[in-house]
Amino acid sequence: MSAHPGPRARLAGGLLFWYAVLGGAVAWAVHLLAGWGVDELTCASGSDHIGGVPLRAAVGAAVALPALATVGALLAAVLLWRRTHLPSEGEDRSVGRGRLLAVVGVWSNLLFLTIIVLGGVALLVLPPCQR
Amino acid sequence: MSTTAAPVPGASREQLDRLEEHWGERPSLRAWLTTVDHKKIGRRYLVTAGLFFALAGLSALAMRTQLARPEAGLLSPQEYNQLFTMHGTAMIFLFATPMLFGFGNFLVPLLIGARDMAFPKLNALGYWIFLFAGLFMWASLPFGAAPNAGWFAYVPLTGQQQTPGLHMDVYSLGLLFLGIATAAGSINFIVTALKLRAPGMSLNRVPLFVWAIVATGFMVIFALPALNLDNAMLFLDRRFGTHFFDPEAGGNVLLWQHLFWIFGHPDVYIIVMPALGIVSAVLPAFTRRGVVGYVLVVFAIVAISIISFGVWVHHMFATGLPRLSYSFFSAASTIITIPSGIQIFAWLATMLLGRLVVRVPLLFVIGFIVTFVLGGFTGTMFALTVFDQQVTDSYFVVAHFHYVLVGGAVFPILAAVYYWLPKITGRMYHEGLGRWAFWLVFAGMHVTFFPMHLYGLFGMPRRVYTYPSEPGWDAWNLVSTVGSYLLAVGLLLVLAGVVHAIRRGRPAPPDPWGGDTLEWSTDSPPKPYNFAVLPQVHSLHPTWDESSRESMGAGAEADRVLADGRRTLLTSELDGRRERVVEMPASSWQPLLLALAMLLFFTAMLFAWYPVAAVAAVAVAGTVATWLWPPRRPERELGVSA
Amino acid sequence: MSGGVRAATGTAALTTELPVGRSTGWWGMVMFVVTEATLFACLLGSYFYLRFQFGAQWPPPGIAPPTLLKPLVMTAVLLPSSLPVIWAEHGIRRGQRWRLRTGLAATFLLGATFLALQANEYAEKLREFTLTTNAYGSLFYVITGFHGLHVLVGLTMIGWLLAASLRGGSFGAHRHDRVRNAAIYWHFVDLVWVAILFTIYLSPRL
Ligand code: HEM
Repeated sequence: MSAHPGPRARLAGGLLFWYAVLGGAVAWAVHLLAGWGVDELTCASGSDHIGGVPLRAAVGAAVALPALATVGALLAAVLLWRRTHLPSEGEDRSVGRGRLLAVVGVWSNLLFLTIIVLGGVALLVLPPCQR
Repeated sequence: MSTTAAPVPGASREQLDRLEEHWGERPSLRAWLTTVDHKKIGRRYLVTAGLFFALAGLSALAMRTQLARPEAGLLSPQEYNQLFTMHGTAMIFLFATPMLFGFGNFLVPLLIGARDMAFPKLNALGYWIFLFAGLFMWASLPFGAAPNAGWFAYVPLTGQQQTPGLHMDVYSLGLLFLGIATAAGSINFIVTALKLRAPGMSLNRVPLFVWAIVATGFMVIFALPALNLDNAMLFLDRRFGTHFFDPEAGGNVLLWQHLFWIFGHPDVYIIVMPALGIVSAVLPAFTRRGVVGYVLVVFAIVAISIISFGVWVHHMFATGLPRLSYSFFSAASTIITIPSGIQIFAWLATMLLGRLVVRVPLLFVIGFIVTFVLGGFTGTMFALTVFDQQVTDSYFVVAHFHYVLVGGAVFPILAAVYYWLPKITGRMYHEGLGRWAFWLVFAGMHVTFFPMHLYGLFGMPRRVYTYPSEPGWDAWNLVSTVGSYLLAVGLLLVLAGVVHAIRRGRPAPPDPWGGDTLEWSTDSPPKPYNFAVLPQVHSLHPTWDESSRESMGAGAEADRVLADGRRTLLTSELDGRRERVVEMPASSWQPLLLALAMLLFFTAMLFAWYPVAAVAAVAVAGTVATWLWPPRRPERELGVSA
Repeated sequence: MSGGVRAATGTAALTTELPVGRSTGWWGMVMFVVTEATLFACLLGSYFYLRFQFGAQWPPPGIAPPTLLKPLVMTAVLLPSSLPVIWAEHGIRRGQRWRLRTGLAATFLLGATFLALQANEYAEKLREFTLTTNAYGSLFYVITGFHGLHVLVGLTMIGWLLAASLRGGSFGAHRHDRVRNAAIYWHFVDLVWVAILFTIYLSPRL
């Protein structure tokens, strides 16, 4: 591992860090807004297609894509967790801070993945417009 | 860990004098009206919120007195409506959040080792707005013009036809006005915690209370706009004939509910979150160890504050939307119990593994856990759609949310009052009096609200000014009323304890509890500049660790004294690396003037004096413009080339 | 390439401090813009909510779908107005006051033109429908009016900066936080307009 990454590597690393911590949360927000919005609005307008796509498939995409993004974030968080597994001696606070947020990231991505998957289960058992 | 950690000043006599000169204020009316000191502002928030708590509590007592027996005639239906609406609105908006913001204001700079908030003048402005907005709303009550359609103000009931008069205009304008203060305060907390932490305080060393307040701040800035928009639309519909909520002309009443609960559900956590932070702050001192699972508690705080935005629809289970949409929200409502549970288990583990020191603050924390867990239990029952549809709008709901709110906000707030009273006033409270207060409050709370579950299940609806005599209703209602008097006596004893401490209490040492965070390593009450030497932080529990304490005493460095001016340090966002020294603003009239101009604006809007409102708006703009006008500096210092 | 990936996923890169070194004023403005953006999101969300709940014909019978020419001209005026502020800000960071003044003045003119066009648009629309005609009218005027108010506020900020910079002794290479913060606000007002253009003017044609 190179000890002194260049500025671009640092930028990429920093962004990857935030994806690892917050990726699941953002994906879940997208899932919720897209899933709810599409379902509710399409049903209210009395149709079960949106722009030619069956409603079920559209809502399905609003479940599957965010779920994939969350899995990605989970992997990134695990990577971060392993990379901060140093014996945290001395005053290297960045590693300690990275470690903290890595654990937060692992757990929160797991949590958001669960929520999204539960939504997916509902999609399998419920007809999209039943009231 | 000893209680004798009196600060060994690492600053010289002469430096202390200079700090005093730059930060101190001689008491005078002018100083009182213009101060920007976060400790004074924090104290004011606490006192003012306490006042509104008393008013809302008296309203509740009046309601309970009316409901003590069936068919009572103490209050007319109109009066009852105004009382429960003002009670709910004031408890939520004028008591719970401002009270916790008061603690935040007082404590955040002390906890992170700074000399003030990031924006001290904005802070002062926030207080004045809060005060004026609160008075604005309460002033309507004596005129019989107070809000009267419930704290969540559902349309169409709140439309101009159903509720003529000023009532709901007071509500919408009052909350819009108050919203400015809440948003400003939140932004201030976030920026303070990001930039003003003492050097060395990387995110993994930030006290849990600060995490909680920052999470609250983020929830506010994302949730409050929904409420503001809702109220603005309501006001426009009522006053200027727009049709947002009018189905006759293409509007929709459900829009109000959606927007309200997009705000309202996070708001429950906005209220409870800093209170949970208080619990995490109080526990270490009385268990003699750090909170177990710091990392997991941080995770829980972050997760709750995000998921809370995804559960709003569960407040509308009774209104009829597609089942699939519901289930997305149901999933979130179910899962949010996991991080909440993590926090509870972390506290229980802390108490089990630590050595308990049973003092009043700890009693209130235990009271909180018991009550809050019961409230959470009835809460998970609502996540079952069927059950929810059954008990919606009955007293069962009233019981549930009082368990959550009294348990989740009032108990931690009382714990905080006792815990930080020595720091805030420099005096110790009377332990015996405090214990009496605790037991009365605890018993009163359960005697009042537990029976509500029962008569709720027996079918008694909420928001009724009286009820016919029914088996199972009469006796339990009387019990509730007796309980509420008990509770009131308990709260009076809390007040008596505070007054007694201020008048007669023993002087408090800097660290009476052996606490772990930075506020305990400075004087009680703290000097205007908080820390003579800004600390260098080496761990999560700086007051318990030798090197952090050293850094303010023998190990002081000149560049952390900063006595030549009103200065504090900026550090980096994530890792708390020292960045630069900044000059802090001194006292000013602008916050008060600006808040007065806004008060004029909102009053003028209420009474439809639009020309006055226009003048007030110009005054607001003018004050802001002078506030931000850059001071003139020599060209050399500016760095100008052309 | 794989070396790059390795570098970016190493401990040092992953624990890079990002964001870092911002001023309190910057954070304050960013947070303010975030809550304002949420407000606009709620407002536009309400538009779509009411629209889709309303039924097939939108705008409601009696109101013609909005024409595009004027709003596109308004867009062409407002969007580029961010460029002069950026240019001005870069100038003052090097201590070039003339650039600050010229850039601010240019932005001010563009912003004022936008408002004039909007007034003209209102004059035309008001003959067709008003705030109280129906929910569509309410949405139209409140959304565009609220944005117009933001342009006005932004314009006041720009004018105020211009006045301060003309006085001298205000900004220089070491003091330009206020310019930066006002610029952030102005960019925000610009971007919101794009969302409004899409919502109010383009989406009824979809
Ligand atoms: C101090 C003791 C308290 C008592 C005796 C009490 C009593 C009551 C009563 C009798 C009602 C009216 C129920 C109805 O007619 O439907 C009520 C409503 C309410 N209370 Fe309390 N309460 C207390 C504390 C609190 C606290 C601390 C909070 C919040 C932090 C709170 C928040 C509310 C809310 C939001 C409502 C609903 C108002 C509405 O229906 O619009 N209460 N309370």
